[in-house]
Amino acid sequence: MTLLATAAGEDSRVKIRVNRPSDEIPTSSMADIAFLLIVYFMVTTTFAATRGLDFNLPKDDDTPPIVEKEDAVLIDIQPDGSLIVDRKLMALNEILEYLEPKLKNNPKKPVIIKPQPEAPYGMMVAVFDVLRQGKDTLKLEKDINVSLPTQREIESFWF
Amino acid sequence: MRLKRRHESGAIIPTASMADIAFLLIVFFMVTITFEKDKTQVALPKTELRYEVPKEAAYISVTDQGQIRVTTGEEMSTPVDPEDVVTFAANLVASFPGRPVVLKADDQVAYRNVDKVIDSLKQAKVETIYLLSEQKTVDAAGDGGGGG
Repeated sequence: MTLLATAAGEDSRVKIRVNRPSDEIPTSSMADIAFLLIVYFMVTTTFAATRGLDFNLPKDDDTPPIVEKEDAVLIDIQPDGSLIVDRKLMALNEILEYLEPKLKNNPKKPVIIKPQPEAPYGMMVAVFDVLRQGKDTLKLEKDINVSLPTQREIESFWF
Repeated sequence: MRLKRRHESGAIIPTASMADIAFLLIVFFMVTITFEKDKTQVALPKTELRYEVPKEAAYISVTDQGQIRVTTGEEMSTPVDPEDVVTFAANLVASFPGRPVVLKADDQVAYRNVDKVIDSLKQAKVETIYLLSEQKTVDAAGDGGGGG
Protein backbone atom coordinates (compact mmCIF):
# COMPACT_ATOMS: atom_id res chain seq x y z
CA MET A 1 0.00 0.00 0.00
CA THR A 2 2.88 2.31 0.77
CA LEU A 3 4.50 1.41 -2.52
CA LEU A 4 1.35 2.24 -4.35
CA ALA A 5 1.19 5.57 -2.62
CA THR A 6 4.75 6.49 -3.50
CA ALA A 7 4.34 5.26 -7.01
CA ALA A 8 1.36 7.39 -7.61
CA GLY A 9 2.88 10.36 -5.90
CA GLU A 10 6.52 10.39 -7.09
CA ASP A 11 7.32 8.16 -10.05
CA SER A 12 4.76 7.48 -12.74
CA ARG A 13 7.02 4.88 -14.45
CA VAL A 14 6.69 2.38 -11.72
CA LYS A 15 3.99 -0.06 -12.61
CA ILE A 16 2.17 -2.31 -10.31
CA ARG A 17 0.88 -5.55 -11.56
CA VAL A 18 -2.37 -6.73 -10.18
CA ASN A 19 -3.49 -10.24 -11.03
CA ARG A 20 -7.00 -9.83 -12.27
CA PRO A 21 -9.11 -12.53 -13.93
CA SER A 22 -9.21 -11.98 -17.68
CA ASP A 23 -12.46 -10.61 -19.02
CA GLU A 24 -11.99 -12.28 -22.41
CA ILE A 25 -14.10 -15.18 -23.53
CA PRO A 26 -11.85 -18.20 -24.06
CA THR A 27 -12.36 -18.89 -27.74
CA SER A 28 -9.25 -20.92 -28.46
CA SER A 29 -11.15 -24.22 -28.30
CA MET A 30 -13.93 -22.90 -30.52
CA ALA A 31 -12.02 -23.77 -33.68
CA ASP A 32 -11.36 -27.28 -32.41
CA ILE A 33 -15.04 -27.86 -31.81
CA ALA A 34 -15.92 -26.37 -35.17
CA PHE A 35 -13.42 -28.52 -37.05
CA LEU A 36 -14.68 -31.57 -35.26
CA LEU A 37 -18.16 -30.81 -36.56
CA ILE A 38 -16.77 -30.18 -40.05
CA VAL A 39 -15.09 -33.56 -40.08
CA TYR A 40 -18.34 -35.16 -38.99
CA PHE A 41 -20.34 -33.51 -41.75
CA MET A 42 -17.67 -34.20 -44.35
CA VAL A 43 -17.64 -37.87 -43.51
CA THR A 44 -21.40 -38.25 -43.46
CA THR A 45 -22.08 -36.11 -46.50
CA THR A 46 -22.45 -37.77 -49.84
CA PHE A 47 -22.66 -35.70 -52.93
CA ALA A 48 -25.35 -37.98 -54.16
CA ALA A 49 -26.29 -38.07 -57.78
CA THR A 50 -29.61 -36.37 -57.30
CA ARG A 51 -30.26 -35.47 -60.87
CA GLY A 52 -31.92 -37.31 -63.66
CA LEU A 53 -34.53 -37.28 -66.36
CA ASP A 54 -38.12 -36.86 -65.36
CA PHE A 55 -40.79 -38.86 -67.05
CA ASN A 56 -44.49 -38.30 -66.57
CA LEU A 57 -46.53 -41.44 -66.50
CA PRO A 58 -50.02 -41.47 -68.02
CA LYS A 59 -52.51 -39.86 -65.66
CA ASP A 60 -55.04 -42.62 -65.82
CA ASP A 61 -54.23 -46.19 -66.66
CA ASP A 62 -57.82 -47.03 -67.58
CA THR A 63 -57.71 -44.96 -70.73
CA PRO A 64 -54.25 -45.40 -72.19
CA PRO A 65 -53.40 -42.99 -74.99
CA ILE A 66 -54.41 -44.72 -78.15
CA VAL A 67 -51.33 -44.76 -80.31
CA GLU A 68 -51.81 -46.04 -83.80
CA LYS A 69 -48.95 -48.34 -84.50
CA GLU A 70 -48.66 -47.17 -88.07
CA ASP A 71 -48.59 -43.49 -87.18
CA ALA A 72 -45.86 -43.72 -84.63
CA VAL A 73 -42.14 -43.96 -85.02
CA LEU A 74 -40.98 -47.14 -83.38
CA ILE A 75 -37.55 -47.25 -81.84
CA ASP A 76 -36.66 -50.83 -81.15
CA ILE A 77 -33.68 -51.36 -78.87
CA GLN A 78 -31.92 -54.64 -79.50
CA PRO A 79 -30.28 -56.77 -76.81
CA ASP A 80 -26.84 -55.71 -78.06
CA GLY A 81 -27.81 -52.06 -77.67
CA SER A 82 -28.28 -51.29 -81.35
CA LEU A 83 -31.29 -49.33 -82.50
CA ILE A 84 -33.79 -50.23 -85.15
CA VAL A 85 -35.91 -47.23 -86.05
CA ASP A 86 -38.80 -48.09 -88.32
CA ARG A 87 -37.07 -51.28 -89.40
CA LYS A 88 -33.82 -49.45 -90.24
CA LEU A 89 -30.62 -49.80 -88.25
CA MET A 90 -29.64 -46.42 -86.94
CA ALA A 91 -27.06 -44.84 -84.68
CA LEU A 92 -28.10 -42.80 -81.67
CA ASN A 93 -27.10 -39.47 -83.21
CA GLU A 94 -29.07 -40.15 -86.40
CA ILE A 95 -32.46 -40.43 -84.72
CA LEU A 96 -33.24 -36.72 -84.56
CA GLU A 97 -32.15 -36.25 -88.15
CA TYR A 98 -34.57 -38.99 -89.16
CA LEU A 99 -37.38 -37.58 -87.04
CA GLU A 100 -37.03 -33.96 -88.14
CA PRO A 101 -39.14 -34.02 -91.33
CA LYS A 102 -41.76 -36.19 -89.65
CA LEU A 103 -42.04 -33.89 -86.65
CA LYS A 104 -42.12 -30.74 -88.76
CA ASN A 105 -45.00 -32.33 -90.59
CA ASN A 106 -46.82 -33.49 -87.48
CA PRO A 107 -45.52 -32.13 -84.17
CA LYS A 108 -47.69 -34.58 -82.26
CA LYS A 109 -46.19 -37.61 -83.93
CA PRO A 110 -45.72 -40.21 -81.23
CA VAL A 111 -42.36 -41.86 -80.77
CA ILE A 112 -42.45 -45.22 -79.12
CA ILE A 113 -39.42 -46.59 -77.34
CA LYS A 114 -39.62 -50.33 -77.22
CA PRO A 115 -36.60 -51.94 -75.65
CA GLN A 116 -36.25 -55.68 -75.98
CA PRO A 117 -36.40 -57.47 -72.61
CA GLU A 118 -32.67 -58.18 -72.72
CA ALA A 119 -31.63 -54.74 -73.96
CA PRO A 120 -29.46 -52.71 -71.59
CA TYR A 121 -31.38 -50.13 -69.57
CA GLY A 122 -28.70 -47.52 -70.28
CA MET A 123 -29.54 -47.55 -73.96
CA MET A 124 -33.18 -46.76 -73.25
CA VAL A 125 -32.09 -43.82 -71.13
CA ALA A 126 -29.71 -42.67 -73.87
CA VAL A 127 -32.51 -42.73 -76.46
CA PHE A 128 -34.85 -40.94 -74.08
CA ASP A 129 -32.17 -38.33 -73.43
CA VAL A 130 -31.77 -37.69 -77.16
CA LEU A 131 -35.53 -37.40 -77.67
CA ARG A 132 -35.84 -34.98 -74.77
CA GLN A 133 -33.20 -32.78 -76.39
CA GLY A 134 -35.13 -32.87 -79.66
CA LYS A 135 -37.23 -29.85 -78.76
CA ASP A 136 -34.17 -27.62 -78.54
CA THR A 137 -32.08 -29.26 -81.22
CA LEU A 138 -34.80 -29.23 -83.88
CA LYS A 139 -36.34 -25.99 -82.56
CA LEU A 140 -39.75 -27.55 -82.13
CA GLU A 141 -42.61 -25.82 -80.38
CA LYS A 142 -43.27 -28.67 -78.01
CA ASP A 143 -41.59 -31.71 -76.60
CA ILE A 144 -41.52 -34.85 -78.66
CA ASN A 145 -44.38 -37.12 -77.71
CA VAL A 146 -42.46 -40.04 -76.29
CA SER A 147 -44.20 -43.10 -75.01
CA LEU A 148 -42.61 -46.02 -73.27
CA PRO A 149 -45.08 -48.89 -73.23
CA THR A 150 -44.33 -51.71 -70.86
CA GLN A 151 -44.28 -55.31 -71.96
CA ARG A 152 -47.69 -55.89 -70.39
CA GLU A 153 -49.20 -52.98 -72.29
CA ILE A 154 -47.68 -54.12 -75.54
CA GLU A 155 -49.12 -57.57 -75.04
CA SER A 156 -52.58 -56.36 -74.05
CA PHE A 157 -53.09 -53.57 -76.56
CA TRP A 158 -51.09 -54.47 -79.61
CA PHE A 159 -51.60 -58.11 -80.13
CA MET B 1 29.17 -2.53 -26.67
CA ARG B 2 25.96 -3.84 -25.40
CA LEU B 3 23.03 -3.36 -27.62
CA LYS B 4 19.65 -2.82 -26.27
CA ARG B 5 17.42 -5.79 -26.67
CA ARG B 6 14.98 -5.14 -29.42
CA HIS B 7 11.36 -5.68 -28.79
CA GLU B 8 10.51 -8.92 -30.52
CA SER B 9 7.05 -9.68 -31.70
CA GLY B 10 5.91 -13.02 -30.44
CA ALA B 11 5.39 -15.82 -32.95
CA ILE B 12 1.64 -15.90 -32.74
CA ILE B 13 -0.57 -17.39 -35.41
CA PRO B 14 -3.74 -15.36 -35.64
CA THR B 15 -6.38 -17.94 -34.90
CA ALA B 16 -9.27 -15.67 -34.08
CA SER B 17 -10.86 -16.06 -37.52
CA MET B 18 -10.29 -19.81 -37.58
CA ALA B 19 -13.57 -20.49 -35.83
CA ASP B 20 -15.40 -18.23 -38.26
CA ILE B 21 -14.02 -20.10 -41.25
CA ALA B 22 -14.76 -23.41 -39.61
CA PHE B 23 -18.36 -22.48 -38.85
CA LEU B 24 -18.80 -21.26 -42.39
CA LEU B 25 -17.74 -24.69 -43.63
CA ILE B 26 -20.03 -26.34 -41.12
CA VAL B 27 -22.99 -24.37 -42.41
CA PHE B 28 -22.09 -25.35 -45.97
CA PHE B 29 -21.94 -29.02 -45.16
CA MET B 30 -25.11 -28.88 -43.10
CA VAL B 31 -27.00 -27.30 -45.96
CA THR B 32 -25.71 -29.68 -48.60
CA ILE B 33 -26.04 -32.82 -46.54
CA THR B 34 -28.69 -35.29 -47.53
CA PHE B 35 -28.90 -38.41 -45.51
CA GLU B 36 -29.17 -40.88 -48.31
CA LYS B 37 -31.94 -43.34 -47.73
CA ASP B 38 -30.70 -45.72 -50.35
CA LYS B 39 -27.03 -46.53 -50.40
CA THR B 40 -27.13 -49.10 -53.19
CA GLN B 41 -24.12 -48.74 -55.45
CA VAL B 42 -25.12 -48.73 -59.08
CA ALA B 43 -23.39 -47.58 -62.24
CA LEU B 44 -25.89 -45.01 -63.44
CA PRO B 45 -26.49 -44.35 -67.12
CA LYS B 46 -25.12 -41.10 -68.50
CA THR B 47 -27.32 -38.40 -69.99
CA GLU B 48 -26.76 -34.88 -71.24
CA LEU B 49 -29.98 -33.53 -69.80
CA ARG B 50 -30.32 -33.73 -66.05
CA TYR B 51 -32.92 -32.18 -63.84
CA GLU B 52 -32.87 -31.80 -60.11
CA VAL B 53 -34.76 -34.54 -58.32
CA PRO B 54 -37.07 -33.31 -55.55
CA LYS B 55 -35.80 -34.00 -52.06
CA GLU B 56 -39.06 -35.64 -51.03
CA ALA B 57 -39.03 -38.66 -53.25
CA ALA B 58 -39.30 -42.40 -53.07
CA TYR B 59 -36.38 -44.41 -54.38
CA ILE B 60 -36.31 -47.69 -56.21
CA SER B 61 -32.90 -49.07 -57.04
CA VAL B 62 -32.24 -51.90 -59.45
CA THR B 63 -28.77 -53.43 -59.42
CA ASP B 64 -27.06 -55.04 -62.38
CA GLN B 65 -28.17 -58.38 -60.96
CA GLY B 66 -31.79 -57.23 -60.99
CA GLN B 67 -32.08 -56.96 -57.22
CA ILE B 68 -34.55 -54.32 -56.15
CA ARG B 69 -34.50 -52.11 -53.07
CA VAL B 70 -37.21 -49.61 -52.25
CA THR B 71 -37.76 -46.73 -49.85
CA THR B 72 -40.57 -44.23 -49.54
CA GLY B 73 -37.99 -41.62 -48.61
CA GLU B 74 -38.89 -41.86 -44.93
CA GLU B 75 -36.83 -44.87 -43.92
CA MET B 76 -33.78 -46.78 -45.08
CA SER B 77 -34.29 -48.86 -48.19
CA THR B 78 -35.28 -52.50 -47.94
CA PRO B 79 -34.91 -55.26 -50.49
CA VAL B 80 -38.12 -56.49 -52.13
CA ASP B 81 -39.13 -59.05 -54.68
CA PRO B 82 -39.95 -57.70 -58.15
CA GLU B 83 -43.55 -58.85 -57.63
CA ASP B 84 -43.89 -56.77 -54.48
CA VAL B 85 -42.97 -53.47 -56.10
CA VAL B 86 -46.59 -52.89 -57.06
CA THR B 87 -47.67 -53.29 -53.43
CA PHE B 88 -44.98 -50.86 -52.36
CA ALA B 89 -46.03 -48.39 -55.04
CA ALA B 90 -49.70 -48.65 -54.11
CA ASN B 91 -48.88 -48.02 -50.45
CA LEU B 92 -46.70 -45.11 -51.46
CA VAL B 93 -49.43 -43.47 -53.52
CA ALA B 94 -51.90 -43.99 -50.67
CA SER B 95 -49.60 -42.58 -47.99
CA PHE B 96 -47.86 -39.83 -49.96
CA PRO B 97 -49.99 -38.79 -52.94
CA GLY B 98 -48.05 -37.06 -55.66
CA ARG B 99 -44.64 -38.09 -54.38
CA PRO B 100 -42.32 -38.81 -57.32
CA VAL B 101 -40.42 -42.04 -57.60
CA VAL B 102 -36.75 -41.96 -58.44
CA LEU B 103 -35.59 -44.94 -60.41
CA LYS B 104 -31.96 -45.70 -59.73
CA ALA B 105 -31.20 -48.51 -62.13
CA ASP B 106 -27.89 -49.85 -63.30
CA ASP B 107 -26.70 -48.91 -66.77
CA GLN B 108 -26.26 -52.51 -67.88
CA VAL B 109 -29.26 -54.16 -66.24
CA ALA B 110 -31.52 -56.05 -68.63
CA TYR B 111 -34.48 -53.88 -69.50
CA ARG B 112 -37.09 -56.44 -68.47
CA ASN B 113 -36.19 -55.78 -64.80
CA VAL B 114 -36.81 -52.07 -65.25
CA ASP B 115 -39.86 -52.75 -67.38
CA LYS B 116 -41.44 -54.68 -64.55
CA VAL B 117 -40.80 -51.83 -62.12
CA ILE B 118 -42.20 -49.18 -64.47
CA ASP B 119 -45.21 -51.37 -65.11
CA SER B 120 -45.82 -51.67 -61.38
CA LEU B 121 -45.56 -47.90 -60.99
CA LYS B 122 -48.00 -47.37 -63.84
CA GLN B 123 -50.44 -49.78 -62.25
CA ALA B 124 -50.16 -47.98 -58.93
CA LYS B 125 -50.79 -44.68 -60.76
CA VAL B 126 -47.57 -43.00 -59.75
CA GLU B 127 -47.51 -39.65 -61.50
CA THR B 128 -43.86 -38.89 -62.15
CA ILE B 129 -40.74 -40.97 -62.21
CA TYR B 130 -37.17 -39.75 -62.44
CA LEU B 131 -34.53 -41.79 -64.19
CA LEU B 132 -31.43 -41.06 -62.15
CA SER B 133 -28.37 -40.42 -64.28
CA GLU B 134 -24.87 -39.05 -64.32
CA GLN B 135 -23.63 -36.20 -66.43
CA LYS B 136 -22.55 -37.16 -69.90
CA THR B 137 -19.90 -34.93 -71.35
CA VAL B 138 -20.56 -33.55 -74.79
CA ASP B 139 -17.39 -35.16 -76.15
CA ALA B 140 -18.63 -38.58 -75.18
CA ALA B 141 -21.89 -37.93 -77.01
CA GLY B 142 -20.36 -38.45 -80.43
CA ASP B 143 -18.92 -41.90 -79.92
CA GLY B 144 -21.29 -42.85 -77.11
CA GLY B 145 -24.11 -43.43 -79.50
CA GLY B 146 -24.01 -47.14 -79.90
CA GLY B 147 -25.66 -48.90 -82.71
CA GLY B 148 -23.92 -50.67 -85.53
